[in-house]
Amino acid sequence: MKKLERRAAICLALAAVLFLGIVYFGWKFVTHGGEWASFYGNTQIYTNGMINRGTIYDRNGELLLNCTPDGIQYSSDSAIRKSTVHAVGDPKGNVATGAINMWKDQLIGYDILNGTYDTTSEGKSITLTIDSKANKTAYNALNGREGTVGVFNYKTGEVMCMVSTPTFDPAGTEPSDPNSSVYFNTFLMGTLTPGSTFKLVTAAAAYDTLDDIGSFGFTCDGTNTYEGEKIKCTSNHGHVNFETALAKSCNGAFGSLTRQVGPATMGEYVKELGFTDSINVDGIETAAGSFTFPENSPIDLSWAGIGQYQDLVNPCAMMVYVGSIANEGEAVEPTLLKGSNFLDRISSGKSLGRYLDKNTADKLKQMMKYDVQMTYGEGNFPGLDIYAKSGTAEVGTSKSNSWFVGFIDDPKHPYAFVVWIKGAGTGYTAAGPVARNVLNTLIAEN
Amino acid sequence: MLIGGTTINGVFNAILSFSANNPVLAKYMTTMFRWVFVVLAIYILLRCIMSLLSTRATPEVWGYFYVQDGVSTPITHWENIIGRSNSADLTIPLKTISKTHAILGRRPNGQWIFKDLGSKNGTIINGVELKPNKRYLINPGDQIIMGGVYCTLAGISVEESMNLQRMRSLDKEPVSPWKILVAITAFQILTAVQLVLGMGEKMSASSLLAIVLLCGLMWGYVMFFKAMGRKGFEMEMIAFFMSTINLAVTASSAPSETMKQFIAIVLGISLMIFMCIFLRDLQRTKKIRPVLAGLSVLLLLFNLTFGTLKYGAANWVTIGGFSFQPSELVKLAFICIGAASLEELYNKKNIYLYAMFSLFCLGSLAMMGDFGTALIFFVTYLVVSFMRSGDFSKLILTVVGAGAMGIMVLRFKPYIASRFATWGHVWEFADSTGYQQTRTMAYGAGGGLLGIGAGNGSLKYIGASNTDLVFGFVMEEWGFIIAVLLVLCLITLSLFAVNSIVAGRSSFFTIGACGAATMFMFQTMLNIFGAVDLFPLTGVTFPFVSAGGTSMLTSWAMLAYFKASDMRKDASLAISKEKDPSTLEF
Repeated sequence: MKKLERRAAICLALAAVLFLGIVYFGWKFVTHGGEWASFYGNTQIYTNGMINRGTIYDRNGELLLNCTPDGIQYSSDSAIRKSTVHAVGDPKGNVATGAINMWKDQLIGYDILNGTYDTTSEGKSITLTIDSKANKTAYNALNGREGTVGVFNYKTGEVMCMVSTPTFDPAGTEPSDPNSSVYFNTFLMGTLTPGSTFKLVTAAAAYDTLDDIGSFGFTCDGTNTYEGEKIKCTSNHGHVNFETALAKSCNGAFGSLTRQVGPATMGEYVKELGFTDSINVDGIETAAGSFTFPENSPIDLSWAGIGQYQDLVNPCAMMVYVGSIANEGEAVEPTLLKGSNFLDRISSGKSLGRYLDKNTADKLKQMMKYDVQMTYGEGNFPGLDIYAKSGTAEVGTSKSNSWFVGFIDDPKHPYAFVVWIKGAGTGYTAAGPVARNVLNTLIAEN
Repeated sequence: MLIGGTTINGVFNAILSFSANNPVLAKYMTTMFRWVFVVLAIYILLRCIMSLLSTRATPEVWGYFYVQDGVSTPITHWENIIGRSNSADLTIPLKTISKTHAILGRRPNGQWIFKDLGSKNGTIINGVELKPNKRYLINPGDQIIMGGVYCTLAGISVEESMNLQRMRSLDKEPVSPWKILVAITAFQILTAVQLVLGMGEKMSASSLLAIVLLCGLMWGYVMFFKAMGRKGFEMEMIAFFMSTINLAVTASSAPSETMKQFIAIVLGISLMIFMCIFLRDLQRTKKIRPVLAGLSVLLLLFNLTFGTLKYGAANWVTIGGFSFQPSELVKLAFICIGAASLEELYNKKNIYLYAMFSLFCLGSLAMMGDFGTALIFFVTYLVVSFMRSGDFSKLILTVVGAGAMGIMVLRFKPYIASRFATWGHVWEFADSTGYQQTRTMAYGAGGGLLGIGAGNGSLKYIGASNTDLVFGFVMEEWGFIIAVLLVLCLITLSLFAVNSIVAGRSSFFTIGACGAATMFMFQTMLNIFGAVDLFPLTGVTFPFVSAGGTSMLTSWAMLAYFKASDMRKDASLAISKEKDPSTLEF
């Protein structure tokens, strides 16, 4: 009988396998349960492949989307539907960055304790940080042009406005091609030629690394031939120093600065300022930008420092960077989900680290103000203490793409913005008014 | 029955109209019930599990074995190996004794037998040299000389016997069943109410009746055997609890089948009681094995001839509108046929006969296309034959051989091979070959830890949800905690079976219990792991929980093997009651 006691260990081994299997499955259940439960085949939460429960609101409690077993209800305003669809998403899941896709678990109301069982009578909801009225303003201001507008609070990280066009009406018929451009959220997923807005990066690198930046001077003849090749400017800027070079957006001067900074340092700066990495927006990984600063071609290097050549930036990353200038050098991670508890409301956003020294940030801020005063005209932005840089990116087409990036210094409304409009021509004349309208709406509504 | 039926209808309609008139309140009730169910289940099952695992029976003593100049060793089994090795039951650590020298066995009538197992130096009893491998009747006081060592056997006196009885009665007693019974009853009542809340008109009054009848059956069973002086009911409690879940699963997925399921439980319990009583007599049980083997062969042949195809396997037989799975019944016989007394373990012929019988079963199951069940038989065979021979290398050899065979099967049965292709990435085949597994996981995860309430589930609309995918079914409606507790219960039965070997009377019951444990555990493994993509999906049932009459009947009857290994004093109805020693005649 004692022998059998020993041999019975085989039974114990079998029991151990069963037990370990259950433990392993339990672990998978804990880590993947939400994913499994939100599988489209789960008819508890999907009717005909469409999610059938949950509500999405904007920051002011405006209903954006309500899923029910009888169908889906949207905002009654078509401009709000079209302007928020990239934030909200579509039930078919074609908009990859949509809340309905990204935070499905929260809509379904999945939690490990209750599974998909809804303990409430009114169902679960998500509150987004965006302001649907500002989105609508931005959408209307874009006026049918292709582009993107993003505004966020550079203290808390809350994304106040996020619009991308071309767009579509989720209540209407959707294009059947899932790769259609209307599903693409340019703000989070696009990478674009930055044009002169990139001079804010080159300026930071030059200010930090060039000892004699205070005595920098450059004489622009409009053509600025260097080693037999032209670095053209929009006009003949004459003699410029560091400040006026940015205000006049002098390509010749910035080409010279870039060459002085050198390719290696330029590469370090785009990395440290977050342009070459994805940003994690509540789980959405934004597209990372890319740059080439050639060692052996001073001309190409010059253009790379002016925001042309092979430069590609992500609009969201640009917004975070200008936000860090406003926030004394500290960058804050953008967020689209409004915190539900008191602590989330009062605490500041998650830091992405220090992008700039406080001195550098202050210097850039001062130069951006100068830029507005000298070039864009403060009178065009009544009531706004605005700091900005425009850009006109040449991408080989007849009409250049317009950029306008910056922030306002207002303790109650610490907003940084980025506006990009395709083929709209000169940066500040096309994109500036869009920024102004959206900022005014945000200030009025919040 | 008629009056009962009328009352049930009244209750059913009352709950139905309550739920229709107060939908919000009904919802809150479900929300609360989910907690109550989990708390009750934890209470019921943990009490049973703790009781089974914490009590270790003090072995009975049947006599003493004296060795010249040595101490006397109590004889605690009916079957004992005498030898030099540490693994012998009666160890004589002297060079002249063989490692396994002889067997000393006790007959139920109190007679002792002695068998020399072909030892090197032989055995002389009362001056007669024993022929190896031949059984001799001996008496207490006989002079036994093994390899020159003088030994003797002493009976047990009345006084010693009474002392021992007292010692055994000091053992921790099995947990009292009453509180647990009340908890299960509360669970059953709430289950019935919740099913009506969850399903409304779709629920049937007969399903409710089945749950009420199960409750009555449970009380009747416990009260009857308690009155007969039995004390251990944990295994039955576990089985009654699992049967309750089974009825709830059936009521939710196929309300019209619930009553049939209840009848299967009644038949299963009857068969279990019969088997328990039959197993009390070892000699009788040993003699019935050839009959069982013959019957099993006939059943399987009958199945092969008249089987009908269901879910890709021809393992069903229908007689007069009543369909059942013969292979399930053969499982019961398979354990009994595989079990062997210690004496038989030293007879090679026995193991070959068992191997041939196993091969026949496997072959028949493979021809039916029921590879899941074939695998269960195979693993049970492996464990049983290992317990019999202790030969690890043979075990490995058999597994390798079978693995090669398995690869052959995959080549010739593309539909099985396709399950292997899906295995591990069911989500990529979510709407084809991974359909069932992905739904099991999606709905199962949807249940969370507490479940979404009996009758509320959606997995029930997927094919085989209440059999092959029942683990997901329970996860969805009852929650992960209860689903896992059910598995822990089956694991506990196995641990208990292993634990009881110490006090076991005969290796027959020990091997039987381990064989039954293997079947339960391996079947559970295939069922659960198959449904959640840790194994390829095989389509076998979860003991006690899966819907299906034959499976339920077999699960209950299989419990007899566990009951027969329960050596706690007066606990099990499968063990003949200990007589009061003062009334023994000498």
